Amino acid sequence: MDMTGLNMLAGWTTVGDTIMIEQMPIFGGYTGGVEETAICDVATTLASFGLFSGNFHLDGPIHIRWGVTTAKETLQIAAHAAAAIDANTDLLLANQYYPMAGPCTEMCLLETAAQAMVDTASGRELLSGSAAAKGVVQDKTTGMEARVMGAASQATCGMKVSDVNDILAKLVPSYEQYYTCAPAGKTFQECYDVRTVKPTAEYLEVYDKALATLRDFGLDIKQ
Amino acid sequence: MAATRALTIPDVYERFVKGKKVPEATWDYEIIPQNATALKEKYKLNFGDRIIPEDKETMNNLFQAGLEMLVSTGFYCQDLGRVLKISEEELWEGIRKTPTKLILGEGKDIARFYPRHGNSSVKPIIQGGPTGSPISEDVFVQVMQSYAQEGIVDNLVNGVMTTIEGKPAKTKTPYEIRATMAELRAVKEARVRAGRPGMGV
Repeated sequence: MDMTGLNMLAGWTTVGDTIMIEQMPIFGGYTGGVEETAICDVATTLASFGLFSGNFHLDGPIHIRWGVTTAKETLQIAAHAAAAIDANTDLLLANQYYPMAGPCTEMCLLETAAQAMVDTASGRELLSGSAAAKGVVQDKTTGMEARVMGAASQATCGMKVSDVNDILAKLVPSYEQYYTCAPAGKTFQECYDVRTVKPTAEYLEVYDKALATLRDFGLDIKQ
Repeated sequence: MAATRALTIPDVYERFVKGKKVPEATWDYEIIPQNATALKEKYKLNFGDRIIPEDKETMNNLFQAGLEMLVSTGFYCQDLGRVLKISEEELWEGIRKTPTKLILGEGKDIARFYPRHGNSSVKPIIQGGPTGSPISEDVFVQVMQSYAQEGIVDNLVNGVMTTIEGKPAKTKTPYEIRATMAELRAVKEARVRAGRPGMGV
């Protein structure tokens, strides 16, 4: 925490704003491995409420090598931290999305869906995304990624956690193997008619294909 | 000992000011990794191969380890180079004071933000948006509309407008706040275009 943050909090708490506190623990950084990073994730999440008057917390464990939230290790950290806090409090928990691949690619949609399954089944209350192409390339995010995030979450709700884990054991390696050569995808202007804000037929086909792949992995996802 | 009350922001500031001086490198390279590793061993944490935990023991042990990490290690302020401490009782008082239900947005477009617990059959809130990704000024409204018009999306999160009136929205320049205000106007327009003017942002 720095003084700028504390000053902003002083203002927000005074006027009664709803306060979201964001923190993204780095797997492979100072905190080390998955268990150590999850411990620090729980600690800082609790600090958001106990020290900084947050109303809900936005997580986002990020992989030091890949710069994504969709890698197995970062999904594992997010899931364990959420489930631990969920089992012991009524705090409101959120997570954010940074897939490797860009929009209009099946890989991007599969990464987003995998994280939505994890966040939903580990008890989180809000899913925030998605910053495709690691959130660093201009205009490489679109509403279609949020559509798959929501659809995958809805399909996961109420499933047995062991069944969700079984699907993830197949789904996550299916895209992780392409991290070194992930498709860059297309810009918003290439994915949508900018005047009507309708997605292109090409993106709708990619979306349908991604849903078919998710069904093949065992997720009963609807259009 | 019972807590006097949950800590306020001024309380936190006072504790930082009176906290122990610690070099940032010592905090980052020694205190955090050493304490995290010690707690991993104390609570025998090993996540194995499953992504989502399936047993309560792991969940409870991780919660206790995280709580102990915060209480025993404290929290660092890099501007002051000092560490504050919070007791377990004060932490729980803060958690108890936190609202467990929130309403995001206004009117017919509200999203109810309530605890789910486990893999509930209740869908989480879907917050759509670029999540801080850089977005061109000339398509900012359309990008945000692409999220607002999705039926599954309940709430919005902004991208970052990269220019304002053609100038880079650089931090610590007047363009930074002008771009931020332009983002807010653009999101309002996107919500109206999508027919959901009360959506939360």
